[in-house]
Amino acid sequence: MGILLYVFIAGWIVPLKPGIIKVSPEKTAAGELVVLDVTGYNTSFLTDSAHLRAWLRLTGDTVIAAQHVQAWDNRNLSASFYIPSAFPFRQEAYPLSFVLDHSKDGTSVLPNAIFITPAAIQDTADLKLWYQHKIENVHTKAGIQYPFRNILAETIRNTYFHVPMWFSMIILFGVSAWYSLKYYKKGDIDFDRMSVAFIKVGLVFGVLGLLTGMLWAKNTWNAYWSWDVKQNMSAICLLIYAALMVMRSSVEDDMQKARLTAGYNMFAFVLVIPLLFIIPRMTDSLHPGNGGNPALGGEDLDNTMRLVFYPAVIGFIMLGLWISQLVYRTDKLKGIA
Amino acid sequence: MKLDKSFHIYGLFQQTMKIKSFTLLIALMVAQTALGQGETAPDFIRSIGKIYVVAGVCLIILLTLFAYMIQLDRKISKIEKRQKNE
Repeated sequence: MGILLYVFIAGWIVPLKPGIIKVSPEKTAAGELVVLDVTGYNTSFLTDSAHLRAWLRLTGDTVIAAQHVQAWDNRNLSASFYIPSAFPFRQEAYPLSFVLDHSKDGTSVLPNAIFITPAAIQDTADLKLWYQHKIENVHTKAGIQYPFRNILAETIRNTYFHVPMWFSMIILFGVSAWYSLKYYKKGDIDFDRMSVAFIKVGLVFGVLGLLTGMLWAKNTWNAYWSWDVKQNMSAICLLIYAALMVMRSSVEDDMQKARLTAGYNMFAFVLVIPLLFIIPRMTDSLHPGNGGNPALGGEDLDNTMRLVFYPAVIGFIMLGLWISQLVYRTDKLKGIA
Repeated sequence: MKLDKSFHIYGLFQQTMKIKSFTLLIALMVAQTALGQGETAPDFIRSIGKIYVVAGVCLIILLTLFAYMIQLDRKISKIEKRQKNE
């Protein structure tokens, strides 16, 4: 319980790194002077605002520096740029990333912040403007904080609540399959009760994982259900176990019920592993860790987040095991009384 | 005071229904906020970093687990009652 208390407190109070939410306008033409209005998040532009530096980045070292940066308040600033009329390579439109460096907030980036349409008349002398400046001597913000990801923002904290649901579900189903195997070997009805208790609680965690995932998806992927491969597979997985419970309630003879459950349960667990861990990795998915996205790595889970994420996983698994024990004991009492 | 048994069961049923409708209400409220975030005020929600989504997720987990534990508690109470009657 203490572990979960820590997760809920640390998961909520540790601040996010400063980041950039919005840059407007979102598109302009090359060869023009543009003033960008920038909205920050958790930023403190007014502190040491004389040393604010901003860049628009095309690729790697191909950048243009802001001519002037003016902070209005802690969350709003304007930066003026001259967009060169010529680009080092030819394209229909050029997406530029906005990079901001601040002595206190560190560096923040908004990828694809502004789209540039090519100019009608291109002055090749403008080409060298791309190489006059470099993004260098940048700062990093001190202290403990979670990474700022553009679409996620604060919802990155859901990593501590949504993901452990699935971890717990898998562990609970695994333990259940283990007890089913034991029932198969020994024929003790207690093992059957045990495996069913773990399935019941595993289903609760699975449904929670699905619901929390849907709420999160609505606010980041813009739909409760985007028919993402991992969403579909986890729904199928839950249906398999729900079918098991329905089947159980339709068999009257206790011995037959237990035997059928044990067989079906082991089969179900073996089926769930490819459903959740192999198939989503073979195709494209919105979920991290699938279709080539890195899972549990990169910027989605940095070391600060690991300090909360791993305890969260352990805490929720322990909670699941404990509740399953209670359910088992209740079912046993009900069977005897 | 000794309650009539049928009355007691009916009361229990009523209470369960109350809890169920309460959970439903919360679920609806959560869904409502989520809808609001998607359509009516995206700029406002974005400016505060979508922290309500985290609140919603935590609420769903805590309330569901809480409701589940209450249901378990009721089951145990029922067994206790039965044992006392025997």
